[in-house]
Amino acid sequence: MAKYLFNQEAVANLKLGDTAILERLVDFESAREAHSQKAHAKKDKRMTLGEAVATFVQDGDIITDSGFAYVRTPQQAFYEVIRQGKKNLQMIGAPNTNQSFFIFYGCVSYSHNSYTGAEMRGIDRIFDRALKAKKTTILSEWSHGGIAQGFKAAQLGSPGILSKQMLGSDLVRYNPYLKVIQHPLKENKEAVVFVPALYPDVSFIHCHAADKYGNAYIYGPAINDLAIATAARKVIITAEEIVPENNIRYNKQGQIIPFFYADAVVEMPFGALPGSMPGCYYWPRQWWEKCMRFACASEENAKAFLDEWIMGVKDQFEFVEKLGGAKWIAEARRQTKAAEGDNEDIDFSYEEYTLKHDSGLFY
Amino acid sequence: MQNLNAPANPLETLAYIIAQQIKDYSIVYIGTGLPMVAGILAKKTHAPNITVVYESGGQDPIEGDMPWSVGCPFTWRKSPTIMEMAYSFAQCYNGYVDMGFLGFAQVDMYGNVNTHLIGKDFHNPAIRMTGSGGNNDLSSLMGNMILVGLQTPDKFPEKVDFITSVGHLTGGNSRQEAGLVGNGPSAVISPWGVYDFHPVNKRMRVKSLTPGVTFELAQQLTGFELLKPEGEIPQTKLITDEALQILRTKVDPRGVFTTMPT
Repeated sequence: MAKYLFNQEAVANLKLGDTAILERLVDFESAREAHSQKAHAKKDKRMTLGEAVATFVQDGDIITDSGFAYVRTPQQAFYEVIRQGKKNLQMIGAPNTNQSFFIFYGCVSYSHNSYTGAEMRGIDRIFDRALKAKKTTILSEWSHGGIAQGFKAAQLGSPGILSKQMLGSDLVRYNPYLKVIQHPLKENKEAVVFVPALYPDVSFIHCHAADKYGNAYIYGPAINDLAIATAARKVIITAEEIVPENNIRYNKQGQIIPFFYADAVVEMPFGALPGSMPGCYYWPRQWWEKCMRFACASEENAKAFLDEWIMGVKDQFEFVEKLGGAKWIAEARRQTKAAEGDNEDIDFSYEEYTLKHDSGLFY
Repeated sequence: MQNLNAPANPLETLAYIIAQQIKDYSIVYIGTGLPMVAGILAKKTHAPNITVVYESGGQDPIEGDMPWSVGCPFTWRKSPTIMEMAYSFAQCYNGYVDMGFLGFAQVDMYGNVNTHLIGKDFHNPAIRMTGSGGNNDLSSLMGNMILVGLQTPDKFPEKVDFITSVGHLTGGNSRQEAGLVGNGPSAVISPWGVYDFHPVNKRMRVKSLTPGVTFELAQQLTGFELLKPEGEIPQTKLITDEALQILRTKVDPRGVFTTMPT
């Protein structure tokens, strides 16, 4: 007996044979059970990234991430998941350019999409090729706002949200979780979309500071983080720094994720690289240009680029060294502080990476 | 630094035409790329009192350099508040946002937008593109959306390969009947023309054309039958020397979004 009545048109359009693969993302009962069963005690949860990934990411898990696009995304933790060779993961991506790296190495077999790419810098042809080669199967198509509502529903403690987004579009024809229904209170017929609450298995959240218990502080855009921290069965916090609990209590006015959601706390300076981290470091812009223009051009290029930057790098400190070490840190910090209005304005000119010109610089 | 004496290129022309749509004192939702240039250009010219809202949640930032991304700190530079993403889109639903700009890979005769894929087979497209991002959300929730992109018959097909975002769906009242909020797209802007939608059947119609572009040429660049407005077709107002100087010196001095690809 099927537990859920998925949108059958979408199931057919997506050519999904067995819909069991879809269930866990909306399975409130198992998420609540996981939340009930996890350690609620306020205890020291610090561990290494390797331990956190080995302990809390199982093959087949649904994973998702903090931040926006390549801003405060837990990139370095993701690279560890890839290096540990996890398999059959489902991934929720905004953007799924991060997914492309997983898919390339055969880690992510199922994809929930709302965006892939890096804005104006070109089409993510790694994702394009992977889809055509059936290296990954799309399980659902979303808008950014639609999936945000699914996470928000979980945070609100609600089975779902009635939305006006995605109506009439092909998203509802390629998303088994969405059901178009009539507004229950309107006399005249009026369509709304039921967006179910979404429960990922693992949320990776990269933040500015956390205490050893997992109280985690975010500065800048919070995006979906408070919701995905509440919803996920397991939460791995990676933090630029570990601070005393009182520092969070007294000093950190802003977005805080409470400690009891967290399963693991990992000290990870530069954990968002090659993304940017508000207050800490600007993007190595040429890295993304090279990724979208060089790595995306062919499978060979992608392998060379990703092997160099993901498989060929032990940790984020080696990554920083490759970007230019202390000089890169100083430039990237100056750039983000100037962009945020916390340093004197600077010249944001840089030598853009193109296929014809590679300065070798990352600032 | 750019050559300040060169004639305006098509992207600069486009940025100016987009900027002209912005009314002062309005709240404007801005997507990545040229709309960012246009928003800042409007703010530095005829519309200094607009409030800009971005998808990553930044709103009303203090002006700075050209954002490198919609998540760039320049989109939330000292913002009084930064919205979580779900709330950022909700501002459109709740009626606070006056206009918005979106890009497209394809737009059809009813203003439906495709940013998903080119080709008829979802599972084996000619090319898979970005997907929705916030495109669908804004389109679903707003009136006065302005769609911005390049114009060829392939990019202006009769029917888009995938409806990422609903414009006027199948025309007439179909947008309202599908349950969407707001009046949908009000204009489509390409380097060659500005188009609106017929008030009743909601088909795309020429509003004004770039000087030198005839209706016949615009039609040749379109994959469906364009409607002709009554009377003489106005010419789109081109960028003034003054606005071009501001664009090149104060808005996008390094030509991040206004340099033609080589």
